[in-house]
Amino acid sequence: MITELPPELDPSSWLSLAHLASESDVRRALSASVPTEADFAALVSPAAEGLLEEMAQRAKRLTETHFGRTISLYAPLYLSDFCPGGCAYCGFAADRNQPRRCLNRDEMLCEFAALKAMGFEEVLLLTGERSPQADFPYLRDSVAAAASHFAAVTVEAFPMTLVEYRELAAAGCVGVTLYQETYDPVQYDVLHRWGPKRDFANRLEAPSRVLEAGIRTVGLGALLGISDPMLDTLALYRHARALRRKYWQSGITISFPRVCPQEGGYQPPFPVDERFLARIIFAFRICMPDVPLNMSTRENAGFRDGIAGVGISKMSIASRTTVGGYGEPTTSPDGQFQINDDRDIETFFAALRSKGLEPVFKNWDRVYNLDQ
Amino acid sequence: MKCCHLWVGGDLLMNIENSLILGGQKFESRLLVGTGKFSSVDVMLAAITASGAQLVTVALRRFNRERPSDDLLSPLIKLGITLMPNTSGARNAAEAVRAAMLGRELSGSRFVKVEIHPNPHHLMPDPLETYDACKQLAKEGFIVLPYMPADPVLAKRLEDVGCAAVMPLGSAIGSGHGLSTAEMVKLIIADSGIPVIVDAGIRAPSEAAAAMEMGCGAVLVNSAIAAAGDPAAMASAFAMAVKAGSAAWQAGLMAQSGHAVATSPLTSFLAGDQA
Repeated sequence: MITELPPELDPSSWLSLAHLASESDVRRALSASVPTEADFAALVSPAAEGLLEEMAQRAKRLTETHFGRTISLYAPLYLSDFCPGGCAYCGFAADRNQPRRCLNRDEMLCEFAALKAMGFEEVLLLTGERSPQADFPYLRDSVAAAASHFAAVTVEAFPMTLVEYRELAAAGCVGVTLYQETYDPVQYDVLHRWGPKRDFANRLEAPSRVLEAGIRTVGLGALLGISDPMLDTLALYRHARALRRKYWQSGITISFPRVCPQEGGYQPPFPVDERFLARIIFAFRICMPDVPLNMSTRENAGFRDGIAGVGISKMSIASRTTVGGYGEPTTSPDGQFQINDDRDIETFFAALRSKGLEPVFKNWDRVYNLDQ
Repeated sequence: MKCCHLWVGGDLLMNIENSLILGGQKFESRLLVGTGKFSSVDVMLAAITASGAQLVTVALRRFNRERPSDDLLSPLIKLGITLMPNTSGARNAAEAVRAAMLGRELSGSRFVKVEIHPNPHHLMPDPLETYDACKQLAKEGFIVLPYMPADPVLAKRLEDVGCAAVMPLGSAIGSGHGLSTAEMVKLIIADSGIPVIVDAGIRAPSEAAAAMEMGCGAVLVNSAIAAAGDPAAMASAFAMAVKAGSAAWQAGLMAQSGHAVATSPLTSFLAGDQA
């Protein structure tokens, strides 16, 4: 078991500042033209709570500068909920007593058609950890199938080898999302009770392999609530920065999933409230102004509407987190996580437009993909 | 006089009809506009109309043939202006060339704005890949306008391979930092045989006017209009500024006096001096 992060990711030296920063540290961070890591630590610190409105104002200006008055849209598509993993917080963990399924080709096409009918042009294909039902060839073939229907296909599955990521790129995958969940190796070990995901280092190093393989974008995140959010946020910042420095021709995106109570009785030991979540998002926007920041439907409609364009630049909507959830909307409600914004597309679009934001389905083209 | 020399050089470039010529096509307006970042298609169309622009650029990745409500191409075609698809999203020459071909096929326009930024965050153009792509596309009969770093040597190299104009950046895309590359842009203009169009970074109409006063053939503006409080009104302000700057350049700016004239001339010792 690994007990320490590699030096380029280890945020320990900034932790005390993140906990103990003063309001003047935060003000200095807010006025920095090129914010440093110290500024980031100050902006996520409790002292920033009193300056949240100022942070929001700056975050909005930066979001508008870099992303315009638009919100890019994507849809998650769960291919399989088979999972040998033992993540204590997950609705798909192997010890959850629920029927499992894995989409066959016809069912997949049915899901594609339902998403296309709604207008989606970017789809995120999800599976659990590597399983006999949803193994690498299945995932690769699913990507290839989706790539002939959608402008952009991305994947959120399990850590893969460099060779596998290359194959995924060749199949038409333009992005891989892989949350470290927590950057605290000790807490990671506690929460990932069994299965392949126990390998902390393999997961931590996978984003480098993604970009090394030529996939354009890697999505990072920490599952807020399962561990010290200060440590996770600072390490996430370091992870994004290290990848940007090494893979300068690649894109990074960051998401901010918050864990919710699930069947199995899991209660997050370090709950992150809305104001803290907003502070983290604003801190990332201010310190990484040109990085797309994503938000799923884990958060409620009020929070999502408020933070759209004020930090967040990319969102999902009308999501189903169950396998087969789009083509057969009456199936089991037991998804991977609780959806807290269940509005339909038109209602969500009306909310965005009332804020002067244009929802954009297609912001990519297959012509740019490898090996056309 | 330096300004006189520039004026003459510029006159050749701008030609006697006071029109911008790109790829043999004449444009009365010297304001080019971009179509990204707007809060709605209607706001974008109103801004383009107010700008008087006759040449607009649109990202191929925002073409959506399957869903008209998400498509930027068809409403622009209806406007009846010249379209210049751009290759934003390409990170190398091969991708840009593929995108240009598809853009020409879908838009029916031979104009292409070559935009190759391998880093999707700061969006700085890759000079090497841009050069390769422009060389290929010019051979393929495109009217090529490359978005490029403000590098006078690269500008000449791009002219040599057949670009219709060069488009050096004023500052980073969307930054609103204005003409931070002004000195380099002046060097590009001084030697260029094709129009120089400042693209990216402009925030205020005064900066667009300043670019025109330097002798730019045109300016391309997107974020400054799309992110303005009233995009259509700002588009109209840019149109006026570009006209004013262009007229000022043609009128010939007076020479700038950099220092006081000495009361005791330093040349009085010269034979034949009349003092």
